[in-house]
Amino acid sequence: MSRRVKSERAEQFWRGVTVAEGLAQGRVLRLHGGATKSVYRATLAKSDIEREVQRFKAAVELARNQLLGIKERAELALGAEHAYIFEAHLLMLEDRKLLDEVEVYIRRERANADWAVRVAADRLLAVYAEIKDDYLRERSSDIEDVTRRLLDALGGAPRERRLTRDAVIVAEELMPSAAAELDFSHVRAVATDAGGWTSHTAIIARGLGIPAVVGLRELYRHARTGDEIIVDAIRGEVILHPAERTAARCREEIAGMRPAERSALKFAHAREPLRTLDGVEIVLRANVELPAEYEGVRRYGARGVGLYRTEFLLAQRGRMPTEDEQCAAYAEVAALAGADGAKVRLFDLGGEKIGADDGSTERNPALGLRAIRYCLRREDVLRTQVRAILRAAAGGRLELVLPMISDVAEVRRARRIIEEERAGLRRAGHEAGDVQIGAMIEVPAAVLMADKLARTVDFFSLGTNDLVQYLLAVDRGNDDVADWFRTLHPAVLQSIKRTLDAAEGAGIPVNVCGEMAATPAYAVILLGLGARDLSMTSASIPRVRRTLAGVDAARARVIADECLACETADEAEELVRVRLGTEWAGLFLPGSLPAPKPRP
Amino acid sequence: MLERRVLVTNRLGLHARAAARLVRTASAYQSTIKLARTDGSVVADAKSILSVLVLAAARGTELLLTVAGIDEEAALAALCELFERKLGEERD
Repeated sequence: MSRRVKSERAEQFWRGVTVAEGLAQGRVLRLHGGATKSVYRATLAKSDIEREVQRFKAAVELARNQLLGIKERAELALGAEHAYIFEAHLLMLEDRKLLDEVEVYIRRERANADWAVRVAADRLLAVYAEIKDDYLRERSSDIEDVTRRLLDALGGAPRERRLTRDAVIVAEELMPSAAAELDFSHVRAVATDAGGWTSHTAIIARGLGIPAVVGLRELYRHARTGDEIIVDAIRGEVILHPAERTAARCREEIAGMRPAERSALKFAHAREPLRTLDGVEIVLRANVELPAEYEGVRRYGARGVGLYRTEFLLAQRGRMPTEDEQCAAYAEVAALAGADGAKVRLFDLGGEKIGADDGSTERNPALGLRAIRYCLRREDVLRTQVRAILRAAAGGRLELVLPMISDVAEVRRARRIIEEERAGLRRAGHEAGDVQIGAMIEVPAAVLMADKLARTVDFFSLGTNDLVQYLLAVDRGNDDVADWFRTLHPAVLQSIKRTLDAAEGAGIPVNVCGEMAATPAYAVILLGLGARDLSMTSASIPRVRRTLAGVDAARARVIADECLACETADEAEELVRVRLGTEWAGLFLPGSLPAPKPRP
Repeated sequence: MLERRVLVTNRLGLHARAAARLVRTASAYQSTIKLARTDGSVVADAKSILSVLVLAAARGTELLLTVAGIDEEAALAALCELFERKLGEERD
C-alpha cells in the first residue's frame, strides 16, 4: 500500500482477493461502524429506570421483527442452508442470559440501556475469546452483529439504508444480516477488509454480478463515506481517492468493457447471436444454482441455462424436496431459460452433502458413492427427480444431464428408469415432456469411451472443473496441491479435444461448463479446440462475449493445436500468455493471462 | 430430576444451526434443562444458545443432560431423540 503524506486526497492503493469479477467506480458507503460502535454511559434518575427497561424491551422487539424479515428474505434468496444463521441470531436476541443481564445491569447500575447492552455483550465476547476453537471465535461476530442491531434499534436509527446510485460498500466485514438487508440493485461494488470466497457477501455478489474484492487490510479505517473509489475486481485492486488520470482511465475501461450493460436498451445487444471475427457462431449459457442468480441470467443475456445444479433444492430445505416442490423449481428454471432451454443436472450428491446413515464418512468422497452412482443406488430419489423433470418439461424446454458418467451401462440404466417413469406418468394421466438426455464428461474413463457414449446420449456436458481434478488427480480444495491444478495441462486439452471430436463424429452437441469457459483466455483455447457452446456464471458472460467477438476461430485453432503438442503445462501456459498477448493485445489485460513462471 | 448421557454424533458438532435446533426444542418445555461436559468444566443452560455454544461440543463429545421439572420425562425423551437424530443435521 502506498500512501503519500502531503495531501489527504492522495491516491491510495490496496491489493486484495477478487470474489466476484468486474470493474466499478463510485463513492464509498461505509457500513456498520468499527469493531465497537461508540456508546456513552449515562446515569439515570431512579424514576427513569422502569422507562429505560421498557425502552430496551421495545428495542429487542424491533430488532426481532427486523431479523424475522431478514431471515425470510434470505431463505427465499439463498436457501435455509445460508439463512440458518439468522435463526441463531434470533435465539441470541431471545436469550434470557443476555436479556436478564442487560435488565439487571440497567436496574442495579442505573445505566442507560445502550451502555448495559454494550457491557453485557463485551462480557459474552470475553467468554468466547477464551475458547480455543476457530468456529466459536467466528460466533463472536454473530454476537457482535446482534449487539449492533440492538444498539441501532435503541438509537431508533432506521435500518433501511438509502443508497445513492453509485454506492460502493466498504466494510470491515459485511455481516450476513447487513448483506441480506442491502438493496443490491443500487450497489456498484463491495470491498471489505475481511472475508473469503465462500462468505455470504461473495455468494450474493457473484449471484448478482456485483464486483467484490475482499481481504483489503485497513481499507475500512482509511475510507470515508463519500470518498471516490475504484474497485477493480479483475486485477483484485482497490484505489481510494483516484487521481483524475486514474479515474479517467478507469471510466474508459468501463466504457470499453461493458458497453452492453450500461442501459436497459443496450441489453438488447446481448441477445444478438455472438460471432467470432471469422463468423463462427458461439452460444453462451448460464450456470445456475441459487435463485439469487436468476436475475443475472436475464441481465447478461444468457442463451438459456447450460447447467442447473439441483443440489440447492436439498440444501434450501435441509431435506429431500418432494416431487411437486422439485417440479415447481424446474418449471421456474424452464421459464427463466425460455426457448433456449435449461439443462437440469440430476443431484450431484455424495460424501459431504448427504452424510452417511451410520455417521461414518467416506474416506475418499470424490471417488465415492456420489452423483449417478448415488442416483442409481437410491432409485426412489432418482425416480422422484426424473418424474419432476418430465412433468416440468411438459410446459417448457428442459434437458436432463447425468452427472459423473464413467460407463455406458450407467446411461442405459438411467435411460430405462427415465422411460419407465415417463410411461408411468402417462398411464397416470400426467403430461410428460420430451427431454433430451446428456452425459457429464468429467471422469477420464468417459473421455476414453466418448465415442461409445456419444452414441447413447443426445448431448455431452463437459465439466472442466472435475475433469481437471480427476484427470490430474488433484483435489481442487487442497491448497497444498494447488500448483498441480493446471487447466492448460496438455492432458486436459487433449481430453477436451477427444471429447469434442467424438461428439462431432456422432453428430451430437457439447456444452462446456465449468470455470474454464468463464476465463476469457481459456475460452479462446476452448474455441480453438472446437467448442461452440459454453456455459458459465452469468456475470462472466459479458466479458467472455466481448473476448470471443474479437478473435478469429481459425487463429484460435492454430494456437490450440500448438498447445496440444506441448510437453508440459508450463509450456502450454507460456504459449497462451505470449500468443494471445500478441495476437489480440487489446483484448487481454495483463492480469487476464496465465502469469509468467519464475525460472528456477 | 432425570439424567442421561448423550453423544454428539453429527459431523459439525454442536455448531450454530444444531445449537439453534437444540435450544428451540428445549425451550418448548417448562423443566430446567442443563447440558454439561462430563468433566464438569462447562455447564450450559439448554434454553440459552449463547450458553450452549460455549460447550464447544465437537463430534464425539459426550455430554450429561439433566432435566428437572413437571414435564421432565417428555423433555428428556424429546432431547434424547434429537441427539439420536444427529441434532437433525444429517439428511437423507
